[in-house]
Amino acid sequence: MDRPIPNKRKTLIQKTLTILVIVVMMVSLGGCWNRRELDELAIASILGLEKSDGKYHVSVSIINAGQIAQKGGGAPGTRTPVTTYHAKADTLFEAFRKLTTEVPRKIYFSQLRMVVIGEHLAKDGIEKSLDMISRDHEFRTDFYIVVTNGTTPDDVIDVLTPIEVIPGNKMFSSLKMSQKSWAGTLNVTLDELISALTSDGREAVLTGVMVKGDEKEAQTRENVERIDSLGYIKYSGIAAFKKGKLVGWLNEDESIGYNQIQGKVKSTIVNVPCPKGKTAIEIIRTKATIKGRVENGRPKITIDYWAEGNIGEVECPLDLTKTKTLYDQEIKTEQVIKENMEKALRKAQKTLKADIFGFGEAIHRSNPKAWKDLKKNWDKEFADIKVEFKVDVKLRRTGTINNPFFKK
Amino acid sequence: MGFIKRNRPAHPKQPLKSSLKENFDEVKRRLGNSSDIITREIQIGKSGKIMAGLIYTDGLADKKSIQDFIMESLMINVKESHPNMKISQHFLSNLKEIAITIGDVKEINDFNTLFNEILSGNTVILVDGFSQGFSAGTKGWEDRGVTEPSSTTVVRGPRDGFSETLGTNTSLIRRRIKDPNLWLETKEIGRVTKTSVGIMYIKGIVNDKVVEEVHRRLDRIEIDGILESGYIEELIQDETYTPFPTIFHSERPDVIAAGLLEGRVAILVDGTPFVLLVPAVFMQFYQAAEDYYQRADIGTLLRFLRFVAFFIALTAPSLYIAITTFHQEMLPTTLLISLAAQREGVPFPAFIEALLMEVSFEILREAGVRMPRAVGQAVSIVGALVIGTAAVEAGIVSAAMVIIVSITAIASFVFPSFNMAISIRILRFLLMGLSASFGLFGITVGLIALVLHLSSLRSFGVPYMTPFAPFILADNKDAMFRLPIWGMFSRPRLINQKNIIREDMPPTQKPEPRQRQKNN
Repeated sequence: MDRPIPNKRKTLIQKTLTILVIVVMMVSLGGCWNRRELDELAIASILGLEKSDGKYHVSVSIINAGQIAQKGGGAPGTRTPVTTYHAKADTLFEAFRKLTTEVPRKIYFSQLRMVVIGEHLAKDGIEKSLDMISRDHEFRTDFYIVVTNGTTPDDVIDVLTPIEVIPGNKMFSSLKMSQKSWAGTLNVTLDELISALTSDGREAVLTGVMVKGDEKEAQTRENVERIDSLGYIKYSGIAAFKKGKLVGWLNEDESIGYNQIQGKVKSTIVNVPCPKGKTAIEIIRTKATIKGRVENGRPKITIDYWAEGNIGEVECPLDLTKTKTLYDQEIKTEQVIKENMEKALRKAQKTLKADIFGFGEAIHRSNPKAWKDLKKNWDKEFADIKVEFKVDVKLRRTGTINNPFFKK
Repeated sequence: MGFIKRNRPAHPKQPLKSSLKENFDEVKRRLGNSSDIITREIQIGKSGKIMAGLIYTDGLADKKSIQDFIMESLMINVKESHPNMKISQHFLSNLKEIAITIGDVKEINDFNTLFNEILSGNTVILVDGFSQGFSAGTKGWEDRGVTEPSSTTVVRGPRDGFSETLGTNTSLIRRRIKDPNLWLETKEIGRVTKTSVGIMYIKGIVNDKVVEEVHRRLDRIEIDGILESGYIEELIQDETYTPFPTIFHSERPDVIAAGLLEGRVAILVDGTPFVLLVPAVFMQFYQAAEDYYQRADIGTLLRFLRFVAFFIALTAPSLYIAITTFHQEMLPTTLLISLAAQREGVPFPAFIEALLMEVSFEILREAGVRMPRAVGQAVSIVGALVIGTAAVEAGIVSAAMVIIVSITAIASFVFPSFNMAISIRILRFLLMGLSASFGLFGITVGLIALVLHLSSLRSFGVPYMTPFAPFILADNKDAMFRLPIWGMFSRPRLINQKNIIREDMPPTQKPEPRQRQKNN
């Protein structure tokens, strides 16, 4: 039984040693170089960008985690849930790094909820400022971008918000909710914005944000200590861009009309006139397709719009048990929706002269050859483009009652 | 090893002597006059001229059967029924045939066999003037009895468990499989302990090559003592340098019987309730006996749950470390904020924090297993305080880490087999180290290495990851899923090669409404 034990042993030891050395080297040479503990992070929630005197003005709203999630679940502490830091510099990146002179920790942008672009910067052109945000690996691209409407990013960021303690989350979820159930706003993420900015046949749009009430009072703790806030953040209107520069605003009706054309309405309310008041139609499902074609060298657009709705509120004594009444209501709803769409279109064609609907893209898709010629002079073509609306609304339900309980 | 002198007992086969006294003296000399060896001289035959002697070990032999079936029949009954018995050539065999009213009787010619018989509880009967004797099976020592196995419990299923006696254990299996093809081969392993080791299998179902291999590996064992089946397991397993067990063991007769029916070989070791089963595959360690006693859907869901628990037990702390120190962008904002708030003021990095908690939990668990039952409560109270609130309140660990450690700990107790749980525990620490230095990348690399290692393992010629690698569709009926019993009509392919079919054509086994008779 003279087994060659020594040899076997040696190879085994060699093998183990090699593996051990590799593991030790792996851990010690590569180890932990990118490690950041949670308590070393300054979690940025809102990023404000503004330009003044040719310099970028960056404001970052940092979440004060310890104040939000208090140990033991007691009352919130005496400090604010977020802190804002500001920096001015020639480039955005420089401004970000300059912030470290004020912030005790490294600013962490992955959890960014909102980017608020100042009106001045928007008028000056937003394209250049977006480069850094899309280039840096730390930015997740799921934040929403908005433009201030008659105010500065600082004033928006500094508002203390009730209910949602973190202003960033408030802005994020309220934009999401209003897009979902009101349709007057638009949640635009970075990649959507960039694809609109780079497209020949489409101009960018962003939702506007403003501070209602007293801007300065809204920044104090008193704002959240009152039942009726002194000032609050509100979304209003859609900002239209042309070649990356802010050119004008759509009002509420036009904004809804814009979203209807884009098929971005999930649910909204349409008020329809009836003999002695109005009925409110709740739109619950919509579908819109923009079809482009070129006839005799002239671009033509057809918008197919289809929606399903319920009757949500009736102010006049309609007999809803009759199908004819419902048909009437359907036709009236179609008219209102069509009007809204036309309003938005008129604004874009006449006032803004910016193809915010992406009609150019539709033409491009349907007739790439013709588009090559058309795109050279698209601004002019767009202003004169013929748009045909095909609106089809179906009313499905009347709620839990049929006829209104009042008569006359 | 050459320089260690093999010290074998230098007792060649020494034949019995014809004188009873000399034999007795030799027994006493060799056993050092041990007081538990009882030697008794009796007179038999009508005239009482014939001297005979009994030797047995106190405590191992059943005194009552010695009295009733040996002494009484030799000293009283024989005299009455066979008064004319004479000393002749055939005296011994006559005596055996007539007088010993005990089933198991063997002839003895030499001292080595004699000692074996005495020390395993049998009674040796010698007659003066004959250099031969015989032993009667009077084994009967104090036994723990068949009690419920404490290591694996079931809600529904048989409650009997193996005990420390080989005979009891084989009988428990035989009671379940009443087939002449259930074969038992016994051998003695251990120069000093001479432990009986039984190899049990169903001839005709088992793969004969595996039986051969088991014999070969067992025969190679050269050791002084076998005290538990763990000795055997370590001496015959395929791979030493692996955290995973490649031999299955169980305390439950129903599990072993099921294994035998699948074509596996059971190795029973005297002195331990744990019976080994080979070949073993990875999946086996995640299958509880109860999977088969509950309905198929429940069994399948429980297995899925066990797999979830497997991944939690293996990766939960390392995932937590990786995500909170490298990939914070993966967390939802609200969760990140609440985790960050908890980490405020915690002095250690997440890895040290996790290591601290995991190690203290392992210490508590180990203490819980080893400590005397009486102090159990004290330890559990202290443990709950240390692991629980106190550590958080003192600001040493974050509350989230306590949750992670607790869920990991509980998940690791879900496994039906304890030895697999231990290997998962070891690997968890490795993965924690990898995740602390490389994040999710490290975990991925670790898991890939783990899968590679698992795929390289074999147990008695069967790939460890069967039926996943190699993938065998038919055997997946009883791996992750547990099909209804009527659907599991074949035995595992690689374990069993010739006698595959367990049931008749499967459709007939599925309960269906009786077909209406056709009118012919």
